[in-house]
Amino acid sequence: MFVLILAFGCVAAVLPALAARIGRGVFYVAAAVPAAAFIWGVGAYGQIADSGPLIEQAAWVPQLGLTLGLRFDGFAFLMLSLVAGIGVLVFIYAGSYFHAEPIIGRFAATLLLFSGSMVGLVLADNLLALFLFWELTSITSYLLISIEDEKTAARSGAMQALLITGMGGLAMLGGFVLLGEAAGTYSMAELLARPPSGAVVNVALVLVLIGAFTKSAQVPFHSWLPRAMNAPTPVSSYLHSATMVTAGVYLVARFTPAFADYSLWRPLVISFGLASMLIGAYRSLRQHDLKLLLAYGTISQLGLMMLLFGVGTKESIFAGCTLLLAHGIFKAALFMLVGIIDHQSKTRDLRKLDRLGAQWPVVAAAAGVVAASMAGIPPLFGFIAKEEALGALGETGFAWGVPVLIGVVIGSSFTVAYSARFVWGAFGPRPVSMIPHQGSVRNEAVGQQVPKPSKMFLAPVVVLAALTLLFGLFPSLIDPVIARAYASLVGVRAEDHLALWPGFTQALALSAVAIGAGFALFWWRLRVEKLQDSMPKVASAQRGYDRTVKGLLEGADAVTGFVQHGSLPIYLGVILLTMIVLPGVPLLSDGVMPDLWFADSPMQVVVGFIMIVCACAAAVARRRFAAVLLVGAVGYGMAALFVIQGAPDLAITQLLIETLGVGVFVLAFRHLPADFVRPKFRRSQGAQIAIALLAGVFVFLFTLFAIGARTEPSISGEYLDKAYSEAGGNNVVNVIVVDFRGFDTMGEIVVLAVAALGVAALVRAKRSPAEVEP
Amino acid sequence: MTPRRSVILDLCVQAEFHTLLLLSLYLLFAGHNQPGGGFAGGLVASCAFGLRYVAGGSSALSRSISIPATTFLGVGMLFAILTGCVSLLTGHEFLESAIFSADLMVLGTVKTSSVLFFDIGVYLVVLGMALLLLEQLGGADGTDPDEVQP
Amino acid sequence: MSFFSALIVAVLFSVGVYLLLQRTLSRIILGLALMGHSANLLLMVVGGRAGKAPIVGAFGPEDTVADPLPQALALTAIVISFGVISFLLAIAYRSWVLTQNDEVEDDVEDARIAQLGEAEMRRWWSRPR
Repeated sequence: MFVLILAFGCVAAVLPALAARIGRGVFYVAAAVPAAAFIWGVGAYGQIADSGPLIEQAAWVPQLGLTLGLRFDGFAFLMLSLVAGIGVLVFIYAGSYFHAEPIIGRFAATLLLFSGSMVGLVLADNLLALFLFWELTSITSYLLISIEDEKTAARSGAMQALLITGMGGLAMLGGFVLLGEAAGTYSMAELLARPPSGAVVNVALVLVLIGAFTKSAQVPFHSWLPRAMNAPTPVSSYLHSATMVTAGVYLVARFTPAFADYSLWRPLVISFGLASMLIGAYRSLRQHDLKLLLAYGTISQLGLMMLLFGVGTKESIFAGCTLLLAHGIFKAALFMLVGIIDHQSKTRDLRKLDRLGAQWPVVAAAAGVVAASMAGIPPLFGFIAKEEALGALGETGFAWGVPVLIGVVIGSSFTVAYSARFVWGAFGPRPVSMIPHQGSVRNEAVGQQVPKPSKMFLAPVVVLAALTLLFGLFPSLIDPVIARAYASLVGVRAEDHLALWPGFTQALALSAVAIGAGFALFWWRLRVEKLQDSMPKVASAQRGYDRTVKGLLEGADAVTGFVQHGSLPIYLGVILLTMIVLPGVPLLSDGVMPDLWFADSPMQVVVGFIMIVCACAAAVARRRFAAVLLVGAVGYGMAALFVIQGAPDLAITQLLIETLGVGVFVLAFRHLPADFVRPKFRRSQGAQIAIALLAGVFVFLFTLFAIGARTEPSISGEYLDKAYSEAGGNNVVNVIVVDFRGFDTMGEIVVLAVAALGVAALVRAKRSPAEVEP
Repeated sequence: MTPRRSVILDLCVQAEFHTLLLLSLYLLFAGHNQPGGGFAGGLVASCAFGLRYVAGGSSALSRSISIPATTFLGVGMLFAILTGCVSLLTGHEFLESAIFSADLMVLGTVKTSSVLFFDIGVYLVVLGMALLLLEQLGGADGTDPDEVQP
Repeated sequence: MSFFSALIVAVLFSVGVYLLLQRTLSRIILGLALMGHSANLLLMVVGGRAGKAPIVGAFGPEDTVADPLPQALALTAIVISFGVISFLLAIAYRSWVLTQNDEVEDDVEDARIAQLGEAEMRRWWSRPR
């Protein structure tokens, strides 16, 4: 399995170079990789029927106990066949969609990388590996949406998709970590077999669901999906129909058997799913851009899948698996159709397209089949999936089962209506009476003399249309696959079986109601549109996103402006206050007061008093040299204190340094004015004094507590003993400096030398850069 | 006001200069056993040159010493590093000291340690730094407006 | 541990902080010098009681000996702070040569960001809700 995933990356690496030679033939080369994955999957499917799921492990970061685990079971096969199967068709399709544009090498490589990430996502067992592949799909999706990077709309759409799914991905990572820590394992199989419990798990599940909802474009995180329609159509038909957007559904499907009974799971998943189903379908009814119509339809269908898995009964999970497959097939085909129309006629606006069906009977027939499948009309696979769904929701046994069922029937009727709108809009006559949307559409019909698409371009659509018809007529062909997927999720064999004719059931009646109502909505489409237009716009997710991003940027400006105002005294003040407060508080509570006496000697009092006076005078001195001399006096006082302390070496050094230092001060300051400039802002002086006093109190207490904190005797007893015997010196301080701690001194003289050279460089430099010029 | 050179200060500095240098050498060599050492010695020598500067400006400073300040810095660093490396080469830790003693007959036994060379390095670096500061900030490059003429 | 030495440490530090918060570069440097003194003294005071100089042979077995280790640390610190302050003085000198000004002005780039932020803040608060 690792080899399989790596193959995607390796082939993708050579595609750009290959594209320079063979042009769009590169897509057929790329198609070989998902084809190989599909064939491998079919082979492995036979294996898991006999011996259970395939598991591969590799050490990832052994130090952290991380293993990269891959697991191939029935549900993974269902997803893999969608990803790889549709992948092959999309690559073939892209071969006709593109001409010899320079981007195709990059495009094919990125699309293949996406494909590989998606395969990794459905095979990953380790939660962190799952997250890794999840984010890889987000990043490749970003690159694919913005592949035509000269288009502003493509770039901003890509950014929106990345921000929203990336945010969700981060939340999900948080959830995974919480779950992994609570369960003590990051293996999804182990986690689901023994789900942890506790309040933290509920938090984790909410976070994971945020990730799933953003990825699957659920309301209110759906705004990125319509914006992502700026991508080339192969991207939309691959990422935004069958694979990437179902990643969220995939995750919910995996988790639902273990977590459906947790308090938050069902209410969250069902309400978000139902809302997405209704709002997506409702918005779809008024779209004039065929691609946007499908995008909102996808949001709606994903909502239904979410809902089905969220309900979490055996029947609904079975129905969810069926719908997942059915939706992948028909939605990919529909997007491809839009791409063909767009490619041939240069428009996707249903108000311009006029009677394409008459010219393209094959295309229209295929479109009719797949759209009917989406609408849930017999004898197509979509019908079977919808039957299963309605049947499952009819027998949940929960109190909220009936309202949810009613909601789903309403959503289904919307689905029927927008499916009809799609076929009519693309292939039917141009709607003369359609409300001119903002009056921007020029009155030109497109439909006459539109070139026919090539057979190769059409082939993938026909294959998918044939599949949806085949699985509809002979559901027993696909039944074992669904059953195995179901079994690997729930852990028991499926009792349900797909059937085209389940008999006269409640579900069939509801289906009929939905279809009837859907066609009625379509019939009165003008009124419906007018009604939608007259509705007050409550909230738009797009506006929400725009405001959020704008607010973030403005907030960042405000925060930066507040903390980074450029005044050195304020920066230093904040740093000093932090230094005082953070260690100060624990110091006050935990400090140990040592035994105190007033002073070591009378001499200390005298010297100290002089030093204090000099220091305070230096602070208020207005004359520059006065301040320098006063600080120098403090330094001499230091030397005296060192003598009292019993440190003659220090005293000598301090005395000499101070002498030399005052000289250097005078040399540096002699060009400067004799007086300090009077401070401009008097009001800040109070704050300066307050910070200075606080710092003084802090250091005073720190000094007292520091001595009280000593628990061990000094290590210098050893130095005293060894100074003469090992280093041959009586002066222990000197022995420490040049011998025991000689390396420190080495560093110190390096600092001195560097500082001296720095001084020379600064002083020797010319007055200004201009003077360097001749 | 034209700066004038003070004769008394000049003579005193002339007299003290060599004494101070001698003192600095004493501190350097005695440092291992008595208060002192490379730092203190180097600083005393620096002060001696500082006095020279105070008495006669930077021209007096440059007349009193012909070796450039940066040479002191470099040679000092070299001394310190080589001392460390020698002890490395002889199979000891970096800067580990070795003790030598020599019997100088009349003068008695002199005992010294290899770290003396390290201390000489420190001495030279400190002196070099001070000289560089005096030269640069003192304006020995001829741009000094306060230059005192003899 | 003597109360008075802690007081000296604190006063030196406090005055150092006050000078550090000024806008005049030379006062900032003087403040750093005072803070350096304070830190060295702190090392001494915290290191242990006063005593005889730690020179072998200069103290008897009954004498209290000052701890040599903090002394060695302080010795290094004294010399290093001298180097650092010389460097800062050269910076002050250079700043004077270039601008004829001893004040630390607000960073121009930062001030521009701050203006942007303030404008944003005002817009934020004045927005009708």
